[in-house]
Amino acid sequence: MIDKITIFVPHILMALMIWKLVHRPDLDDDPALPNRRQSLLGRRAARFEADDRRPDA
Amino acid sequence: MLDLFFTAFCLAFLGAGLKRPFLFVLAYAYIDIVAPQKVSWGFLTHIPISLIAFSCALLGWMVAEDKNGIRVSPRQFVLLLLLVYCGLTTRTADFPVEAAAKWSWVWKALVFALFLPLTLRTRLRIEAMTLTMVLSVGVIVIGGGIKTLSSGGGYGELRLLVNDNTGLYEGSIISAVAMGIIPLALWLANHGTIFKPDWKAKLFAAGICFSCLLMPVGTQARTGLICAVVLAVMMLRSTKRRMLYIGVLCAGALVAVPLLPSSFTERMGTIKNHQADQSASTRVAVWKWTIEFAKTHPFGGGFDAFRQNSVSYDTVKADYAGDNNAAIETDHIEEKGRAYHSAYFEMLGEQGYPGLALWLLLHLMGVFQMEVIRRRYRNNPPEGFAWVAPLADALQQAQMCYLVGSTFVGIAFQPFCYMLVGLQCGLSAYIGRVRRAAPVPFVQRRPVPAQQQAGTAAMEIS
Repeated sequence: MIDKITIFVPHILMALMIWKLVHRPDLDDDPALPNRRQSLLGRRAARFEADDRRPDA
Repeated sequence: MLDLFFTAFCLAFLGAGLKRPFLFVLAYAYIDIVAPQKVSWGFLTHIPISLIAFSCALLGWMVAEDKNGIRVSPRQFVLLLLLVYCGLTTRTADFPVEAAAKWSWVWKALVFALFLPLTLRTRLRIEAMTLTMVLSVGVIVIGGGIKTLSSGGGYGELRLLVNDNTGLYEGSIISAVAMGIIPLALWLANHGTIFKPDWKAKLFAAGICFSCLLMPVGTQARTGLICAVVLAVMMLRSTKRRMLYIGVLCAGALVAVPLLPSSFTERMGTIKNHQADQSASTRVAVWKWTIEFAKTHPFGGGFDAFRQNSVSYDTVKADYAGDNNAAIETDHIEEKGRAYHSAYFEMLGEQGYPGLALWLLLHLMGVFQMEVIRRRYRNNPPEGFAWVAPLADALQQAQMCYLVGSTFVGIAFQPFCYMLVGLQCGLSAYIGRVRRAAPVPFVQRRPVPAQQQAGTAAMEIS
């Protein structure tokens, strides 16, 4: 019984984690970093945004 | 049933990787920590599931991942040097067959630690990796904690999921690793985005932490107790309400000590008097042998070089009968082929002084790196970066637990610890990318001295 609890509880949470990660766009594209898939104009806009968020800004 | 469950879970994990290739990396970490092929007994035991997961992770990264802005950090370079050096010592090992067997899993741990930072490109990935490590260790410690509460455990008696006493399923190793998991679980409970930091996340984190604290009690591994003390001291540094923290610790200790099993308190008492304990005396004797061995073998004897040792020592036991009467019992013990029981001496004996230096450099650089990040982001972090300093702090605490715990356990090449190294490198690389992403103007205005400014203003007025 104890072994079943110790196996199932973390595995259910891991399954939930996987489900959530699959649907999160920021898994591959961090909002704090410039996105290489964006167009040049989009990248420039993102750069200005990043400039505002810069740690030493 | 259990076999089917593990098979289905591994397949689902790898299947999700087809949609998001980074999940292959998490699947490998999960398989490496939990070892479902050991827990189950059917299909998974017949296929190289760990190799499949790593191959998928590497292939997924090569084909589908963004490799823009990747840089190999100095720490990864040290890791690479250690990998090459260990490969060379394996070729000239004193016990070639045994050394090859150890090398077969050591290189995987080192290569994964080298590879991991390349994949940790986003904040969410860093969090996901941390969560996978915590939940995977949770698979082992939750049951261990419940069993300790119900039976009290005992040295070599606590039966975890797998009863083969290897990897994370070994008592002393899981006790040390469990202590390192505590700060990471607390960070997830406070700064997580996958599971929002609500009461449910905090309750689960509290449960994991309690289970982790019970591991040294259940396994009766002295290493775990020492790591717990180190962790408590390190957490004192980062806590805001220090007096409250000390008060809670003291109250917790006062409540817990009377409830601890007597076998635990007796075993912990041998920390002070190692001469009465055979296990501790063996360690000291093997360490002395290793220092002598390194004098004649400065480049180490290769993996498993301890097999050639032969140590002898006396154990001294005093039975006090009161009124200053004590019966002293001395036993002469001779042993052969005893393991190092210390990562530091493991490195010295197996990889010699260069290997020990590389290993120390790798870990000390990590402590320093985390301290730099922690200090940079501790006060007034930019918006959206409040999670950085606490994570650097947690990773540093976990590593200090490892460095102290590894004094008494031979875990120099424990894959879990190299995942911590990879995670640290990943965090450091991410912070570097964030800082580089913020563009610096091509032409920067020079700051005008205050006196000159005042002079110009006066001229304008006149």
